[in-house]
Amino acid sequence: MAIAALITWLVTALGGFVMLGTWISRGGHRPGGSTRLSPGLVFTHFVLAAVGLVVWIIYLIAGGDAWAWIAFILLLPVALLGFTMFGRWLSSRRNDTAESRFPMPVVLGHGLFAAVTLVLVFLVAIGVGD
Amino acid sequence: MDDAVERLRAAKRPVTPLAGWYGHPLHPVLVTVPIGAWVASFLFDLASHVVAEPQFLADGSRWLIGLGVVGAVAAAMVGFLDFLAIPGGTRAFRIALVHMSLNLAVTAAFALGFVLRAEPEAPVPPGLIVLSGLSLVALTVAGYLGGALAYRYGVRVADEATQASGYRTTTTTPDP
Repeated sequence: MAIAALITWLVTALGGFVMLGTWISRGGHRPGGSTRLSPGLVFTHFVLAAVGLVVWIIYLIAGGDAWAWIAFILLLPVALLGFTMFGRWLSSRRNDTAESRFPMPVVLGHGLFAAVTLVLVFLVAIGVGD
Repeated sequence: MDDAVERLRAAKRPVTPLAGWYGHPLHPVLVTVPIGAWVASFLFDLASHVVAEPQFLADGSRWLIGLGVVGAVAAAMVGFLDFLAIPGGTRAFRIALVHMSLNLAVTAAFALGFVLRAEPEAPVPPGLIVLSGLSLVALTVAGYLGGALAYRYGVRVADEATQASGYRTTTTTPDP
């Protein structure tokens, strides 16, 4: 189950990279750029998810329940920020913002795989499947 | 201004301070971890065929591979941010794409090596040493391309006006 979580985490990251690339190439990160997703929101989400992924790989390599719990706790603000951005994306989609170019399947797939990852990481942390 | 120069300027700026500030990228700092760990692991593999009781080298080699994978993922995250700073459709972008793909493949190969060494055998079997050796060759090619991006094409390197500020002398030369 821990490996399954790694795979869904990597798939989620891939979707995130596609959106981040689109957003940056449209100038969303520049001051005064046309976006409703602030750079602080985007990059905090990115860095917490990235640190979480590194922690998860440490858990897979070295073991130790604490690592699994740290990864899970890191994912909570990531999910909260993700939901916030999803809400803003929905309302800014019709305007000509940097994020209006995100393909719908990538946004939905990113959210779906993220949710599955969160559940799998929680199940591993509480010891299901040991 | 020339479009190419404008695109070069974009590639010099971090997309976020998380990737390191202007003129101080984090990616070259973090890549030292996987490079050092994986090279040391390879040397441990070779040494395991030389010393009398090689089990500690086989065990150590596996841990170094794991440490390198963790460092590589961290380096990849900030490297990806620098990748996004490079405008698409350019030679620099294509080199960065190959650099990234090679390094991801190398990281996957070392992750596979880590799994295959679940119960480290000493001396380290030749097949595993070959896997590490080939991965290091690919890592060298990827590193060469990374060097080209920084030193030839100036990705995330401060502009020449900033560089020149480090060469002003404190003594003033009298006008002739």
